[in-house]
Parts: sequence; structure tokens; C-alpha cells
Amino acid sequence: MNSDDERYICRCEEVTEKEIREAVRAGARTVTEVKRWTRAGMGICQGRSCKRLVERILAEELGVSPAELEPSTVRPPIRPVSISAINMEETRERNDREEG
Amino acid sequence: MMTIKSDIAVLGAGVNGLSTAYELCKRGKSVTLVDKGVMGAGASGSCDDMILLQSKKPGILLEMAFRSLELFKGLSTELPCDIEFETRGGTILIEDQAQLSVMEEFVASQRRSGLDVEIIGKDRLRQLQPHVSQHVIASTYSAADSQVNPMQLMKGYMLGAQAQGMRYISRAAPEEIAREGGHWLLRLSNGDSLEAGIVVNATGAYANSVCGLLGFELPIKPRKGQVLVTEQLPPLGETNVWSAQYIVSKLKPELTAASTGLAARYGLGFAFTGTHNGNYLIGSTREDAGFDKETKPDALELIAAQARRFFPVIAEAHVIRSFAGLRPSTFDGMPFLGEVPGHEGFFMAAGHEGDGIALAPITGRFIADLVCGTKPEFDTAPFRVERALKA
Repeated sequence: MNSDDERYICRCEEVTEKEIREAVRAGARTVTEVKRWTRAGMGICQGRSCKRLVERILAEELGVSPAELEPSTVRPPIRPVSISAINMEETRERNDREEG
Repeated sequence: MMTIKSDIAVLGAGVNGLSTAYELCKRGKSVTLVDKGVMGAGASGSCDDMILLQSKKPGILLEMAFRSLELFKGLSTELPCDIEFETRGGTILIEDQAQLSVMEEFVASQRRSGLDVEIIGKDRLRQLQPHVSQHVIASTYSAADSQVNPMQLMKGYMLGAQAQGMRYISRAAPEEIAREGGHWLLRLSNGDSLEAGIVVNATGAYANSVCGLLGFELPIKPRKGQVLVTEQLPPLGETNVWSAQYIVSKLKPELTAASTGLAARYGLGFAFTGTHNGNYLIGSTREDAGFDKETKPDALELIAAQARRFFPVIAEAHVIRSFAGLRPSTFDGMPFLGEVPGHEGFFMAAGHEGDGIALAPITGRFIADLVCGTKPEFDTAPFRVERALKA
């Protein structure tokens, strides 16, 4: 086994290059599928550090250029935000108004 | 372009399609699994991890959930990957006397059906959930409520079925389905064709568009649920958590009928669970919003505010992701499991709404029994397709 295989690609979820290659060989064609299969990109950084690396591995395994891959989905929020910070006054008022 | 022949074509690589395909492979059938997108791209991959018995009314769905729970225990060693099955128990939080009396009655009826569940007071609740808000006056508790990682479950079924020869075709939607010469012929959007004696429609909220290819319609509609995901946290408590408010609104709508605000329109109910990985999943809404899968800022705010109301400690935790899933809901709350009259060899396995994960193991066996002509473990009448076609 190539020692590179044990390198962490997704540091947040501790997913190795080997696991990502295995996911592609099991049928994953997109970053989103690799994410579901391995959890790569599901940690605190939401793929900000590993997404491009995963794309490179995918492209290499599939024999295409990274630009040819299906774009991956991005889920809100854009960056981690505390529960207290997403409690907006305006929505509460609107709710009270509708209930009132 | 090719024509693939197999005994059975299963449409939909969600948890119920996979469970069905896996069971059929185990019984020696050749199976092709087809998905218009990819595995778990629908509701099965956009949900929480709870296997709740407590949320079920006494009756056949509760009995099937009991059976599924037993099957999950077997699957956790049988499937080729860890499905992260755990039994940590569940609590449904009660906020006032009105909810308490409804829940007392509900719990008593569940106990008569053999579910191990009870009402517990504040002190016992705080042992299980030390961070719960002081305003919560009581809770239900069942030691049987469990959890499973839906993605790992699907992966396990997929690997297990593929090891037994199942063929999987992703990114291929059926465009034509016709009965020809005693078998079904499916033309797929990727150019391939599929020939099978039996077709199983397990396409969840999208099941009706597949039925449409055969010229009939079933009352299956998407019901949207939005969920927040937190960063990994140290465990806040032992159990899965729900709010009684949601169950009360289902059992006694008159108690909540006055509520017409945004929260009511979103069908807000509290669901709170710490996953195997340490992320907390906080939900959820229950909306009729067509096939729109976007999360909405105002809905997420309501979910966040509700979480703080029950667990003030969560205020400083970070949300890292949000998602929405479309639960396949039916007109009478029961899934369609059975052959479609007038379309010999075409079976439905869809319409589980929020019970898709919990009921997947028994659904797979039930459908495999019907397809193979053996008697299912449960009465087939409540699930028959006929009940909707007559109406």
C-alpha cells in the first residue's frame, strides 16, 4: 500500500485518501456522494479545506478534469453560526403578529 | 445502451428500496436497483437518526416498528458495515397540564400494546437530560427507543446486496414502463433498458411520477422537514428527545387549533438527537411545500429558538449545516405496500412519511414476501393500494 493512502484528506472527520478512493470505486461520482459515503466534508469546516482535494482524487480516479465534475451542493449556513445568533427578532415579531 | 434482464427491478435507492433489494437478493432473486439520482439523495439521506416507538399510535405500525427493532439488532452484525445502531431510550417533553393529560392517555394505550413506556417526573428527567429547561414539567420515557445512522444503513444494504450480485444503476430515471409478453420493460433516461418480471416502486415522495408512467395516481405527497446540524458536542444527555406538543397536535388538534402563526404554518415540532459522531440534529418542520427542498431562514430561526427554549445550554453551540427532506406522506398515514390492481407484477413500497428509516427492515421483508408469494408476517389489508383507488 502506498503510504500516501493513509493521509487525512478531511481533517475534521478524519477521512483518509484510501477511504475516498474506495468510495469512488464503489460508485461515487460527485463530492456530495463521497461526502455521504465517507463523511468527508461533513465536519466543522464543511469541506472548505478538503473539497478541492476530494475533487482532485475524484477526477483522478474517474480520468476526467476537476472542471468536468458535477458541482457539489452547499448547505446553509455559509460558516458556523451560534444558535443564539440565528434567533432573529424580526421573525419572532412576525410570528407574534400572525398569532396575535 | 444495453438491455439488462433481471427477476426484479427495484426503483429508488433510498432506505426502503435498498432494504427490499437486499431481502430479495437474500432469497436468491436477481435484482437491479435503479435511481434517478444517487443513493440516499431523497428523504432517506435528509432525516434524523431516530427509531421511535413512542411516536406511534397503538396498532399495526407500532407492531411493525417492534419487529423492525428486532431486525435492526440482527442487521447491525449481518450487514458489512457498522450501521451505528444504539438503544439509548427516548423522552417526550411535556410542558403543561393539558399536554400531560393527553400524554397520560396516550402512554396508557401504548402500554396496553406492550410498549415499555412511562411518564416520569422532573427529577428522573433531569438524570437523563441534565440540561433540560426548568419549565418542562414531566416527560415520557421509553428505554426501547433507538437510533441508527441512515447513511450507514443504506451503505450496509448496498454493499450487502451488491455482494449477492445486485446491479445498481444510478442517474437513470424510468421514462417508459410497459408490460410486454409477460414481463415489464423499462426504458431509462441513460439509454439503457431493463426487463424484469416484477417492478417495485420505492421512490418515496416521487412515487407518483413513476405511477404516472403507468397511467394511475396515488395520494402520496411530499411533506417537507427542515433540520439543523450542530458542530460535534460533548453528550448533553442520554436520550432522544421530542416534544409532546407535536404528538398532542396530531391527537388533539382542537387544543392547538387556535395557533395560526408562522410556527403553526411550518408545522413546527421539536426533535433533538445526538448522533454517533457527536453532532446534534435539531428539527423540525412538517410542511406541504411541494417539491421545494430549500431550507428557509425563518424556519431555521424558529427551530433554533425552539431548541433554546427546551435546552438553554444549546445557545452557544454552532450550527454547521441545515437540510430539508421530503417525507412521502399518504392520505391516511399508512404506506402503500402491495401489488397494484390491474398492473400484475407492479408493487408499491412507498409512503412511510417520517417512519421510513424505522420501518425499512420490516418493509423489505414484507415486500420480498409478497413478491415471492410467501405470507408476510403482518396483515396486508391496511397497506393495500386498493384502499386509495376505491376512494
